[in-house]
Amino acid sequence: MVEYLAIFIYFLIATGLAIILLGVSFLASTRKPDPEKISAYECGFDPFDDARSRFDVQFYLVAILFIIFDLEVTFLFPWALVLNRVGLFGFWSMMAFLLILTIGFVYEWRKGALDWS
Amino acid sequence: MNSFVQITHEFAQSVEPSTELNFQSLLFENDFKAVFPELFLVLASLFLLIYGVVWTTSASTGYPLLLRNVNWLALLTLLLTAMIAANSPIGHGVFFYHTFLLDDVTFFFKMLVVVGALSSLLISLDYLERESVNGFEFALLLLLSTSSMLFLISAADFISMYLAIELQSLCFYVLAAFKRDSEFSTEAGLKYFLLGVFSSGLLLFGCSLIYGFTGVIEFSELSKVFASLASSGEVYSDKVDLVQASQAFGASLEGSPLQPPSAGGGDGHLAGGGSLVSTSSWRGCELGMIFLLIGFLFKLTAVPFHMWAPDVYEGAPTAVTAFFSITPKPALLVVFARLLYQSFYDFMIEWQTFLIFCSVASMVLGSFAGLAQHRIKRLLAYSSIGHVGYLLISFCCGTLEGLQGLAIYLVIYIVVTVNIFAVVMTPLRRASHSAQQQQGVERIKYTTDLAMLAKNNPLLAATLTVSVFSLAGIPPLAGFYGKAFLFWAALSSSQYLLALVGILTSAISCFYYIRIVKIMYFEAPQNWLSFSRLSKESSLVLALTTFFVVALMAYPYPLYVASHKVALALSM
Repeated sequence: MVEYLAIFIYFLIATGLAIILLGVSFLASTRKPDPEKISAYECGFDPFDDARSRFDVQFYLVAILFIIFDLEVTFLFPWALVLNRVGLFGFWSMMAFLLILTIGFVYEWRKGALDWS
Repeated sequence: MNSFVQITHEFAQSVEPSTELNFQSLLFENDFKAVFPELFLVLASLFLLIYGVVWTTSASTGYPLLLRNVNWLALLTLLLTAMIAANSPIGHGVFFYHTFLLDDVTFFFKMLVVVGALSSLLISLDYLERESVNGFEFALLLLLSTSSMLFLISAADFISMYLAIELQSLCFYVLAAFKRDSEFSTEAGLKYFLLGVFSSGLLLFGCSLIYGFTGVIEFSELSKVFASLASSGEVYSDKVDLVQASQAFGASLEGSPLQPPSAGGGDGHLAGGGSLVSTSSWRGCELGMIFLLIGFLFKLTAVPFHMWAPDVYEGAPTAVTAFFSITPKPALLVVFARLLYQSFYDFMIEWQTFLIFCSVASMVLGSFAGLAQHRIKRLLAYSSIGHVGYLLISFCCGTLEGLQGLAIYLVIYIVVTVNIFAVVMTPLRRASHSAQQQQGVERIKYTTDLAMLAKNNPLLAATLTVSVFSLAGIPPLAGFYGKAFLFWAALSSSQYLLALVGILTSAISCFYYIRIVKIMYFEAPQNWLSFSRLSKESSLVLALTTFFVVALMAYPYPLYVASHKVALALSM
């Protein structure tokens, strides 16, 4: 538990450093805003139309897939640590779990959820 | 860090030759035989998933829909599951470290669930094709939720119970929103999801409270803890150490990976200053139990927690509505009964009061709100709320007859529901406008759509009449016996209020049941509709269920004996 203290201090220092870096450029730079400068950058043109656009469901799918396989990894960590204790039974239990996930993955693949064309 | 060093150390040592038997690989040698039906169901649905997705996305066969094909394979899977369950080599026992149990109760209700799922898929085959619910995933979700219901029925601790409920609910959320292009279906799915998740949260909080106060999650161990508490004198004043009690019984769980942590934590507590006062932990367990009850009553659509049911029933595709109202009730009710009668029997006064309130409220709302409904699915939703009220009577009795009444009523209710939904899913043909003559995909929305059914299709009208009368509890039909048994059980356990309210509300609900009959036989239709041909499967199911409803009075003994066996096993 005590090693988290060092990580916490490290986190504080990193935050402080980031604030300092931002602050220095904030203090030292010259700022002369005008409408052209603060307008949105669209390759030199004025924006053509509304910034709102239809959301591509692909991003959503990828996010969901990430959550699923992230969970899978969460289950794999403890299994990998104690593999020599849980023996063949533990090994095959995890293989069953992975098989089910793989079947889900095959389903996604064939459905074209990973297809970005 | 320490453990990591220890593990690497052990890894270095573990190169010794393993001549002795590895007990961990032998541990579950027989346990898998106990879950063979579930195992088959899950594996078959995984196989069907691969099968379906490979063929529906195959360009060489022209992207076939596979709807009927996969549905029939799913039916076959369910049939085989039922046969496997019927021929299971293991009848009784506790398996997988107190995670699952098998007895007569689980067998009875598993068969009920599988047959319910089978018939609900059978009657919706035609509907699914007509409404072009084109995903083959429908049948798979149905299979997976059925398998989770089977797990739920044989759940023996909070974790397996909660996980099974969640798997089932997750499939149900997807099923409710299955027709993506229908706003109603999407809305139903969202509503069901939000309220279902909320109720699961309550359920889980109840479980965690009870676990926190007792350190035990198995139903049977909980009953021992509570019994020892209750028998050790005045619970509310005396200092009974719950931690010690749980420790004593926790010691009997040798080899369990789920050792109650109270052994360490509780001692620390004791050393920290004084023992746990039993009043607080008793109260805490009571609170947890109330949360559990609320979670279950949400899932069962009992009255203060029913608000999602009519919208979900109305919005979801009718095949899904049929599945929702046929299959999950037995699974939820049996684990509910197991909790109440096994684990929380010592809290009977508390949960009885709570359930009497819910039961009366459900019966009253189910009968009165049903009066105002003109949409047939909404009517059926309120009717099912009312029937949940009747089913809850059986819990409030706290007797063997009550449990027997539960089993009998459930069987009859499921059969009748299958029957009614088979009629409701029959396609209509609108005959008024000649231009729309070919438009044969109308479905029943309003009860008035049934007008003149007696002229157009007298046999169907007679069938619907029989099943509606059975729901209302008209004497020679099966529903009457179910209700009568429940009311007798209520009377014999001195629950006069429940019996009285039950009889009154069932008389009131007769009104809207009979109105359906009146519409079918005596009402001139606003717009002429005629039913098109029933599918073979639906008509077969209709014939069988109608026969059951009519003929139960002639030979009710098998049902009575089986339900008595269930009640005995459940109350032990």
